This record gives sequence, C-alpha cells and structure tokens, in this order.
Amino acid sequence: MSTSPPPVLRILCLEDNPLIAFHVEQMIEDLGHLPIATLDSFTELQALPDVQADCALIDIDLADGCTGPDAAQWLRQRGIPGIFVTGQKEIAEANAEHVTGYLVKPIAMEGLKRVLDEFLAKPRSA
Amino acid sequence: MSESDSHIARAALDRVLVLAPYRRDAEYLCRLLSEQQIDVSHSDGARLADRLRESAGVLVTTHEALTPQVIEAVSAHLHAQPAWSELPVVVLLDRASPNARIRAELARHWPRSRLLFYERPVSAVELLSGIQSALLVRLRQRDVGDHIDREVELRRELNHRVKNILASVTSIFQMTRRGASTIDALTADFSGRLQALSNVHSAVFRADGEAVSIREIADLTFAPYRVDGRDRVEASGPDLMLTREGGTTLALCLHELTTNAIKYGALSVPEGHVTFEWSVDNQHLSIRWQERGGPPVIQPERAGYGTRYLRSALGSLFGASPVIEFRTEGLYCAATGSARRIVGNP
Repeated sequence: MSTSPPPVLRILCLEDNPLIAFHVEQMIEDLGHLPIATLDSFTELQALPDVQADCALIDIDLADGCTGPDAAQWLRQRGIPGIFVTGQKEIAEANAEHVTGYLVKPIAMEGLKRVLDEFLAKPRSA
Repeated sequence: MSESDSHIARAALDRVLVLAPYRRDAEYLCRLLSEQQIDVSHSDGARLADRLRESAGVLVTTHEALTPQVIEAVSAHLHAQPAWSELPVVVLLDRASPNARIRAELARHWPRSRLLFYERPVSAVELLSGIQSALLVRLRQRDVGDHIDREVELRRELNHRVKNILASVTSIFQMTRRGASTIDALTADFSGRLQALSNVHSAVFRADGEAVSIREIADLTFAPYRVDGRDRVEASGPDLMLTREGGTTLALCLHELTTNAIKYGALSVPEGHVTFEWSVDNQHLSIRWQERGGPPVIQPERAGYGTRYLRSALGSLFGASPVIEFRTEGLYCAATGSARRIVGNP
C-alpha cells in the first residue's frame, strides 16, 4: 500500500509589514506548504488578475488602507479562499462572509497549523 | 464619524434658523441677521426635523411658534444630538405672554439646550449680540466635538500600531531563535535587533511621526561601530526620506548586514571596512553595500536566517529581489526599486 505525500498548499500572503510577512512565510514552509508570493496591497494584487493559489492569508490592514476585505472578496470571485490575519477581531467578524476563517495577530504556529489543517479537511467547492 | 455625529454636519453649525409664524417677525429677524453676514433661513414649521439638521447653529424662535408639534420636533432633535452638542435657543417673549409657563415647559421638554429669553420689544443691538454670542458658543462646542473625534481615531490607530509592533517583535524573536545555537547568542542577537527597531522609532518620533531620513538610519545603525573617531562603515547618499515602515525595514536590514560583517565579514578584522551608498535615479531608489579588506569570503551552503530575512525584507521593500553576492573582495548587497514605494514626503 503506498502512502501519498501530504498535500502541499500554495499559499498567497497579503501583508504589508515585511517582518511579519517573513515570519509567516517561514511558518508556512515549516508546515510543509509553499508561500508562493507576498503582496503588500490590494492594488498590487489587482495587478495580477491571473494569480493562482490554493488559499490566501490576508491581513485586513494593507499598504493601501483597510482593503483586506475587498481583497478577500476579489480572491473569492476567482476561486481562491481566504483567511483573515488581523489584530482587529471585530472587523474580521464583520467581514466573515468573504473568508473561511480568521487568525488573530501575532500568529502562532499552532494557530496557523490548525487553520490550514481545517482548510485541507474541508471538501473544496468550485 | 459616529452615528450621532452624522446627525449634525459641522458646516451647519454656522447657520441660524428662525421660527416665526408671523411674516413680519420672520422678515425682520432674517434681515437683521443677514445684514451682519450671518447665514440665516426661516422655517414655517414644515419638515422641521430636516431644517434643524441643516441649520443647526442657533435656533431663534418667537413664542407664537411654540406649538406642541414644534416643541416635540425640537425635543427630538435635541435628544439626537451628539454628546458635545447643546443647541442655543433664543426665545422671543412678550410682556403679555405666559412667560413663566413657557419657561417651565421648555425647561422640561428641551434638555441639552441653552435657552436665552428676551422680552419684546428688544433692541436690535441687544438681540444681535445675544445671537452672536450663541454662535460663538456653538463654535467652541464644535471644537470639542472635533477633538473628541480625533481622540477616538488616535486611540484606534495607537491600538493598531501597538499590535503591529508586538507582532513584529514576535517575528524578530522567532527569527532569532531559529538562527541561534546558544542562549547567549540568542540574547545578543535579539537585543541587537530590538535596539535597531527602537532606534528607528525614536528617529521617526523625533521627525514628527511619519517619515525618517536614510542618513539618520545609517548614522544610528553604524555609530556604535566607530573606532577612534573613524567610521568603519562609510555611508553616503542624497537627502532622502523613507516612510516609517520603509525606514524600519531598512534599519533592520542594515543591522543584519552590519552584524554579519562583524561576525564573519569585513568588520571582523581591523583593516576591513564597508561602504554603504544610496542614490535616486529616474524614480528608482538604489542601495549598495560593499565590504572590503575582510577575511577570505566563503559562500555558505545554506543561507542563514538573517540572510533569508534580508532577501525577503529587501524584496518587499524594493519590489524586486536584491542581489547578494559573495565576491572575492567581500560581501556585496544591492537593491533597486521604485522610489514611489518607499520615499515619504520630506
């Protein structure tokens, strides 16, 4: 009986603080997944209309303002599910319909692992 | 803006609304005020709620206007005021009107208003000065309202920044922990990086909060390594400001480069030195770090966390990957990117 290798998620990060971005990228790698790109704003994201990823980690506050929710919606329209990462729990909850979950900053490895495992366990809808 | 604040537009606070059912009274009052360049309008009681919102500065009313409906409409308006607001109301009575009853009724139905009563006939001068005083009171209330709004906004911003700083410190700690093999090394590296972060914050604060000069970041980072008055890192470039975020990132990157130079590179021997240059050309900002005179350079098999952070941070700061080369003369690091991304207003 062969065991298939664990699934590798291609993860897009939307984060404008380079320190936090670096940390998140490292944690994603440590969990065996692939940080495909880190963008600092919704503006930067919109410049890549053909972007592909399995899911996205989205900070609510980006370089061009409080545009995380807009980015989440934009990604959802392109079939990329999102997870909010934020210090502002209230805004995450207010915009919950655009994402599959949220994490509160500062992110810890356990929290990220849990959210990504949950994501993997859910059947993906088109 | 809060829910109740949108109830009163700030601009409306300069306007006077006149309530007088007799046309002669209304015309007299309106003319008296407009001759003094006061923005005045008149209502016959219709759509009073809207009119009160539009002309929310001062209400001038004759006692004849005070029907139960009018009293109720004004009362509702007063209840909906934001906390800083107290509507000044000038009430014109007559000798023959039931003044005690009117005063009592208004006191009961119109909380959070400043009532000013005149008994007609009242001189134009006296009436005008009363209304102008009331308008000044209103201006002061508006200032208070603005300050309260600003404070709410600042508190939210502060909370956001503090959360971000805590997240940054967590990141710095995690990055340091991965790269350190002993507790002493961890302590030294962590303290150094935290100091770099703290220095940038001080510099930004001194510069009034939103931007910091590259020169100052360079000076702060390299100053501890001067020997006998001589710079071991020579920094040169034009006067240029970075945003707070950009400055923080650059400071941490320079700290990284400097620390590596001290441990393994040009600064680990007395004859070694470093040049750090920055320039702007056609909307592009470039930086260049070159070490010289250090021990023979060995390309590491796997980049340490500091170097990986350098690549990631410079990449995000400049919008393009940096060049990091282990040249024979010494480590070389360069990055170029759109100035628009990085440079704040001088």
